[in-house]
Amino acid sequence: MNARDLVRRARVALGVAALASATLWGLAACFATLALGAMGDWAFGLPLAVRRVLFPLAIASFAVKALHVLWRARRVREPGAVALWLEERVPALDYALVTAAERSPSLPRIDALERAAAAVEFVAPATGEVARRLATPIGIAAASLVLLLFLPPGIVSRVRSPAAGDALDHPVAAGAAVDRLVPIVARVSPPAYSGLPAQSLDDPSAIGGLVASAVTVEGRGSAEGLSARLGEASLAVTGSGARWSIRFAMPRHPVALRLADGARDRLVILEPLPDSAPVVGLLAPAKDAVFREPAGTVELSAEVRDDFGVADAWFEYIVSSGEGESFTFRSGVLGRVEAHGAQSTALRATLHLEALALKPGDLVHLRAVARDRNDVAGPDTGVSETRTLRIARRGEYDSIAVEGAPPPDADKSVLSERMLILLTEDLQRRRPKLKHDVLVAEAGSIAREQAKLRKQVSKVIFARLGADAESEESQALDDSAPPKTPEEMLRAADAATNVGTSALDFEGDETPVVAVNRTLLEAYNAMWDAERELQIAEPAKALPFMRAALDAIQRARAAERMYLRGRPPVAIVDLDKVRLAGKRDDAGGGSRAPRLAVDSSAARRVRRLDGALALLRANPAAAVDSLLLLRVDAIAPDPAFAAALGIAIDSLRAGHDATAAIARARRAAGGAPLAQRAGTPWDGAW
Amino acid sequence: MSDFTWVTLQYESGDWDSAPLVPANIIDTIARYTNIDVAPAGIVVPLSSPDLLRFPFAFLTGHLPVRFTSAERDRLVEWIGRGGFLFVDDHNHDIDGAFHKTVTEELSRALGPMVDVPNDSPLYRSFFTFAEGPPATSHELNGWGDNLVHKHLKAVMREGRIAALFSNKDYSSEWGYHPDNKRFQSVDNTKFAVNVVVYALTS
Repeated sequence: MNARDLVRRARVALGVAALASATLWGLAACFATLALGAMGDWAFGLPLAVRRVLFPLAIASFAVKALHVLWRARRVREPGAVALWLEERVPALDYALVTAAERSPSLPRIDALERAAAAVEFVAPATGEVARRLATPIGIAAASLVLLLFLPPGIVSRVRSPAAGDALDHPVAAGAAVDRLVPIVARVSPPAYSGLPAQSLDDPSAIGGLVASAVTVEGRGSAEGLSARLGEASLAVTGSGARWSIRFAMPRHPVALRLADGARDRLVILEPLPDSAPVVGLLAPAKDAVFREPAGTVELSAEVRDDFGVADAWFEYIVSSGEGESFTFRSGVLGRVEAHGAQSTALRATLHLEALALKPGDLVHLRAVARDRNDVAGPDTGVSETRTLRIARRGEYDSIAVEGAPPPDADKSVLSERMLILLTEDLQRRRPKLKHDVLVAEAGSIAREQAKLRKQVSKVIFARLGADAESEESQALDDSAPPKTPEEMLRAADAATNVGTSALDFEGDETPVVAVNRTLLEAYNAMWDAERELQIAEPAKALPFMRAALDAIQRARAAERMYLRGRPPVAIVDLDKVRLAGKRDDAGGGSRAPRLAVDSSAARRVRRLDGALALLRANPAAAVDSLLLLRVDAIAPDPAFAAALGIAIDSLRAGHDATAAIARARRAAGGAPLAQRAGTPWDGAW
Repeated sequence: MSDFTWVTLQYESGDWDSAPLVPANIIDTIARYTNIDVAPAGIVVPLSSPDLLRFPFAFLTGHLPVRFTSAERDRLVEWIGRGGFLFVDDHNHDIDGAFHKTVTEELSRALGPMVDVPNDSPLYRSFFTFAEGPPATSHELNGWGDNLVHKHLKAVMREGRIAALFSNKDYSSEWGYHPDNKRFQSVDNTKFAVNVVVYALTS
């Protein structure tokens, strides 16, 4: 073997040794990191976030240290450097090896150098040097491993596989009393339908989860003497080994879980997360509709979404028939689909109006309905907006789409035309026996009654025309004003509709105002004539006009009517007349006060928060409990305040500076400033 | 000081105006038995209108199915949350009827579950004393509607007080007459309305 071969072999051996050294130093760094972390967790109880980075940190330290060692050994690739390394360990070589390895074999005296190098024993010293260098990392790694082996097993598992819920694995210091209320671990298993994973919480102040989730709370120590209350209900505390536990289902409403160990207790808030009802949107029909005939089809379309999946969906209808106080109802469903847990689905169907056997005036109330898959606390049902389909009543399109309203009561103080005729006929029969002045007086009396009735007819005419019903007739009855002729009356009526005054032809192109009021105008004119005859004591001449007026009224009565629906008459109660007119013998006594101002619950929350904060300096534990109970009550009505309060509570329990969190909670409790006084404007007493 | 105003709620579905004579009759009754400063005529307020927030009391009735729109539902929740008192009466007097089914569904959906009002509730002692609970109506006693005499009213509660009162007793028919006709009755059948209004204003 010449010097080059020897250096080549030494180079391979040193390369292997460098790799081994890098590996051993890496392992030493890795084990030392884990051991230091475990010691720190044992001593201080490292947070989960820190423990979660320990293992990656150990791997990284392995890589860094191994690379560092390899970097330092990089010259092992150079034959000259290897030869020098050997020369340093074996001074007897006297640079013969370096010279022989680097010189060309053709040079003179090379053989002598080769022989000199081969004569020296250098393997053993070099091997010894390598072994010494490997001993240090082996020692460090072994010491770290031994340390990990002798640490409590819970500590090793917390470092090896850190996970939420391993707070109870942290060992209690030797000789220290076991605190059964701190720490605790909560494990929440959501209902299967949700598909959500189970989660564990270390020493929580609040436990959140879907309604009806299975919740287990565990702690150290035996169950003996422990009690647990969920709101007003007691929970059974069971023991297993060195741990106690309680099990319950997540309630529907926020509530405080109170754990008590003798005189000590602890509050934990249960914060249920509701499973939202499906959101249903009715796409078609897009708006309410009126159908002339109960025939044809209506395409129905809806979309459904849900947070954990839709179970089924369908369209639902209610048919309302009847009017007034008598209604009948039918209901049914169509287009049901099974969504099999899809988070969104479309719903389509066709509504056949003939199949519903609808009658004129019937209403169809239509909506889409969906249920979610909540088979534990549900199912929750979501509904869409409702569309109303109406079948038009007969004749509805011949006039206007309104419902009838009763005509106003008749004026009972006015004598009918028929009665006036009877009075006039009686006067005519008695006329030969009456003195003239008596005849004139009685005829005048009938004339005045005739005038009253004419006024009522005039009111009807002008009320139809939308004009002031009093104006024309009051003017007509004014003795100082000349009475209007029928032609003048018709012109006035026509003018009220802005039709014009030229077309007054009853036979041909009569105007709408004349057409509508023709019969009543005939009666009105006849009454004028009858009135004039009666005023000059000519009952016999008045009677034909009166009979003509009656005939016209009869024809008007038989005419087809339109009753316009409007607002019902507003009854104004005469308060002064009826005030305290009722018997109050059975009324209860006692003073009454207006109820509290609106949103008093928010004000109460602010007061409770201020009270708890005032307690904070003197009794922090009690203050935190007060804040916890306040948070329970605030979760539903004021979630923003509850969330801010939760952060403040966590800061206080962790011993951190909670000033900023408390300030945020205080601002949230105050709410947005009210722009105006709202709620009840009534604030009187009586 | 503002006058108490009887508010009839107008909703988009159904026949909200089925009892037009009730407001005047109850206003008459309130004036007849109390010193409450009451407006002489009732008003109609759309359920979705922000004007509703100006009034502490509202009355809702009808025969037909009730389906609130989103705006109506949101306004109702806001109004109840700010202290409003809703009095709902089933004009059908029929627990199997569409009004009952739909309006109770809508109220439960918007405001929360309904519970029976116990017959010793302060509601029955707030002015007159109704020891037996809600007074029966002629519709119940004559076997109309569902042919039941309902022992209890129902309610949605808020912090221990009634926020929404629901009746199947058809007070809308019982009280639906002109106040001038009250003189023909030996016993005024509208007295319970005073209790409802006084409870709404004081509880």
